[in-house]
Amino acid sequence: MLPNKTSLAPPGIAGELPAQRLRTTRPSAAALSVLALAAGLYLILPLVLERHAVDLLVFCGLYAIAGAGVGFLLGQGGIVNLGQAAFYGIGGYASAYCSARLGWPTPAGIAIGIALSLAIAALIGRPILRLSGYFLALATLALGIICTNIYFEADFITGGTLGVPGVPKLAIGGFVFDTPEKFYYLVWPIAFATILAMHNLMGSRVGLALQAMRDAPDAAMVMAIDNARLKLWIFMLSSGLGALSGSLFAHYVGFVNVDSFGVDKSIMFLLVPVIGGASVPAGAIIGALFIGLVPELLSALGDIHRVLFGLALVASVVFFPDGLWGLGRSLTGLVRRRSGAAARGETTP
Amino acid sequence: MLFTQALLAGVTNGFVYALVGLGIAVIFKGSHVINAMQGELAVVGAATAVFAAAIWGLPLWLAVVAGALTGMAIAILVELGPIRALFARRAREESFLLLTVGLGFTFSAGVLYLFGREEHLLPALGDEVYEIFGAIIREHALWVIAISAVLILALRLFYRHTHLGLSMMAASIDPDGAATTGINVRAMRTATFALGGLLAALAGLLVAPLIGVGYQMGPLLTLKGFAAAILGGLSNPLGALVGGLVIGILEAMSIVFVSSGMKDAVALTLLIVIMIFVPDGILGRAGRKGG
Amino acid sequence: MTQSVSRRALLAVPALVLALAGTGAVVEAAEPIRIGAILSTTGPGAGAGIPQRNGLQLAVKLVNEKGGINGRQVQLIMEDDGSSPDVAVTKANNLIFSQKVQAIIGPTLTASTLAVGGVADPGKIPVMAFTGLGVAMEKTRRCVFHMLPSQDLNARALLEVATKGLGAKKLGVLHDSAYGNIVMTKIREVSPDYPVEIVAVEKWEVGATDATTQAAKVKAASPDAVAVIGNSATPFRNARQIRMTMPLLSGIGTATYEYVKAMGDAADNIVFAEFLVAEDPLPGQSAFVEAFHKEYGVLPKTMEASAWDAFNAVAAGLAKVGPEAQPGALCEAIRGPFDGAMARFDFSQEDLTGLTLKSYVFSKLDKGKFVRLPFKAGS
Repeated sequence: MLPNKTSLAPPGIAGELPAQRLRTTRPSAAALSVLALAAGLYLILPLVLERHAVDLLVFCGLYAIAGAGVGFLLGQGGIVNLGQAAFYGIGGYASAYCSARLGWPTPAGIAIGIALSLAIAALIGRPILRLSGYFLALATLALGIICTNIYFEADFITGGTLGVPGVPKLAIGGFVFDTPEKFYYLVWPIAFATILAMHNLMGSRVGLALQAMRDAPDAAMVMAIDNARLKLWIFMLSSGLGALSGSLFAHYVGFVNVDSFGVDKSIMFLLVPVIGGASVPAGAIIGALFIGLVPELLSALGDIHRVLFGLALVASVVFFPDGLWGLGRSLTGLVRRRSGAAARGETTP
Repeated sequence: MLFTQALLAGVTNGFVYALVGLGIAVIFKGSHVINAMQGELAVVGAATAVFAAAIWGLPLWLAVVAGALTGMAIAILVELGPIRALFARRAREESFLLLTVGLGFTFSAGVLYLFGREEHLLPALGDEVYEIFGAIIREHALWVIAISAVLILALRLFYRHTHLGLSMMAASIDPDGAATTGINVRAMRTATFALGGLLAALAGLLVAPLIGVGYQMGPLLTLKGFAAAILGGLSNPLGALVGGLVIGILEAMSIVFVSSGMKDAVALTLLIVIMIFVPDGILGRAGRKGG
Repeated sequence: MTQSVSRRALLAVPALVLALAGTGAVVEAAEPIRIGAILSTTGPGAGAGIPQRNGLQLAVKLVNEKGGINGRQVQLIMEDDGSSPDVAVTKANNLIFSQKVQAIIGPTLTASTLAVGGVADPGKIPVMAFTGLGVAMEKTRRCVFHMLPSQDLNARALLEVATKGLGAKKLGVLHDSAYGNIVMTKIREVSPDYPVEIVAVEKWEVGATDATTQAAKVKAASPDAVAVIGNSATPFRNARQIRMTMPLLSGIGTATYEYVKAMGDAADNIVFAEFLVAEDPLPGQSAFVEAFHKEYGVLPKTMEASAWDAFNAVAAGLAKVGPEAQPGALCEAIRGPFDGAMARFDFSQEDLTGLTLKSYVFSKLDKGKFVRLPFKAGS
């Protein structure tokens, strides 16, 4: 079965997607049709794709949620977070422990995971966020490693290397998300809603304050912006999203152990916005798709695929400072300028 | 005896961390870039030497020189290519960090692809074993300590008394001022990376007989080296040594007195605390005089 | 590492969406029997995963050369989980639902086995895992079989050879934070059954570059023998560097030529509780050792043999019920005794492997060479 690109969903269905409201400012007809196309594609994909592909897309959705938090820190706060897997782990273990060991309903575990993450982020964030730049990045990396250490040691909760098997499927009000397809329709709307909320946040007073803090911290201070509190808030936001993603992961896979919460996962979550583009929250979606799908396609090439992946990352840092999103925008900008010039009968100098 | 043995192990590891941290400090000093691929450069240097000896049949000393030069050459290429591109664009700190993290990932994957997943061992400089107060230390560990000490001393002299060293420092501290006195600032930055890459490869070559280097070892070496450098104040070669020793000994003591499972947690918590409360490193501003 | 047909399909289809949809869309005229494999050929588990791949590929090759199973060729679809349980689940989903395999060989790691079992068991697809029984919950799974002993049995084998073979009264343990930690938990549980005192237990982190201090701490308790459990050569070297001269004990994971090489001079006076000494094989093992040596030019160890056995056990089951059997029939066919090159299995036993203390072969490293010991456990 191959997806038939010509028979996409009618615009009516696409209109229901929150992503459409992303650009309320100047919705050109072209942008709208692209969005409608994307939304239709989103809805129809699980129907035409194999289970394996849907499975990969579910993981992409999980990466998008956790990566969006890291991306918001990076893009809006200029903070490199190399410890997101710690919070991803807190969510994962909270869900696994509450539902598999204690037998509580699944939403309870998710809520506890998020609450725990926020509390820990608030507690640790206060001292750590006094650092900046390289030092802050290193501190988050150290935090991630310390947490992995603790996950190994606290095996009465985490099961250590063996982990916690038999995590039940996510059930909300009697509806059980027990197939990749059902989970796909759960996890991506959460990701879209997260991105949309971040987008709105950027346009608000908080967003402007963040911008001031990032680009001119001293000036921001003069304007009575509480930099420390702002940073703490976005750090907690990021941590909460990490926990949410981890909880969903635990319920989706049905099994958690330390291997899923290591430093490599933290780096992966950071790569989501770096590759996708950190200046806009939606970059996390592109980055997550890249991270989730490209290694899978490259892995057919054997061990060299890791080298290629590394080079792709380096290239994106050097050549596309705003990730694939920035690349796409400058390309469309180029096309638009060219066509605009042509329409006015001008020639490019 | 246990205490002495732990102390000796801590000191040996401390010198390993110091060597990695030294390169990080040198590069930071000359370019204000944190090189997050320092550990991978060490692995590349050691792995190249192992394979130059095993596959091309080079004599050991030549293989070691080849390893050292490979580390240096890679660092120079990295500076001439992506690092310059980022400087030209006036990229922020996080871009440099992401770049070197990405390069480190690529090099690690390259070592895996070219040299395989084994731990690579180099022959030791000496196979004797010495006993100190009932504890054992290998001759090679003593060589690591001695050579590191010489390297650190040489670096200090280099930065204080040679024209090149002084120019490198001037170019870093005040690029515009240095340029007006005829110093080629960009060339100095390349020289800085060359020196840092050479130090990384030397670190790898020196520790390969002790611990055996593998493709996946880079990030941990970088992290410990970075911690050593920061603890010592980042811009002072002597600082990296002090920082490395503190971390190495602290780790060993936390195995003896706390629990072996928590040694990284203890060392890294200390690192965070020091960064927050003693940002200039434990030698303080006074210790920075060397550079 | 998707091989053969699916690999070509992946490379040939250019568009992302097309590639995602196309992995299973290839049908060959001969209709081979499809068997999947999930091995850790990259990442920390690769030390076991690569030998398993070699043993498995040889087994498939020889079965196909002899005309396949009931006249049909076997197509092996090899996947690498990169030593990560998340990836293993994704690969299992692919093998079961897209590739429609009859059975899965692997995974290499305990965590991945627990994760993959959660997908394969409800689908009644047999899983031949290269791990021991992990948690009690696995006993309820009807289609997950284990090619290696449970950690309980591994712990007992170590204690048997330590007490009866070496006569140790005081045992020290150095273990890693992952696999070694699981075995250590079991050693604590079963050690009251043996006349031995555990005098020191120290742990090293996975990936640690030095365990000298831990070794010194164990040495300070002056044990008669020290068990070193975990997948690294470093602690063996460290132990010998600080002049720990007592015998060291270890398990299947480190009883490989690769680790012996990495141990360097330390590879001496180390006793292994394992299953195959190819230099001096048991009667039932020589055919496999010869075939392996002929194909690869090197000698196999336990991991290669277990993969060979895993495939042949599945092949025997398929020959019995035929490739078109009802779901679950193959599981029931495998669920029984199987005479392998590694040992004699009985997959109907409670631990889903049927190995006993008597199945073990004990070997000793003598200046870098494996020597089979006359010692037998469980008597």
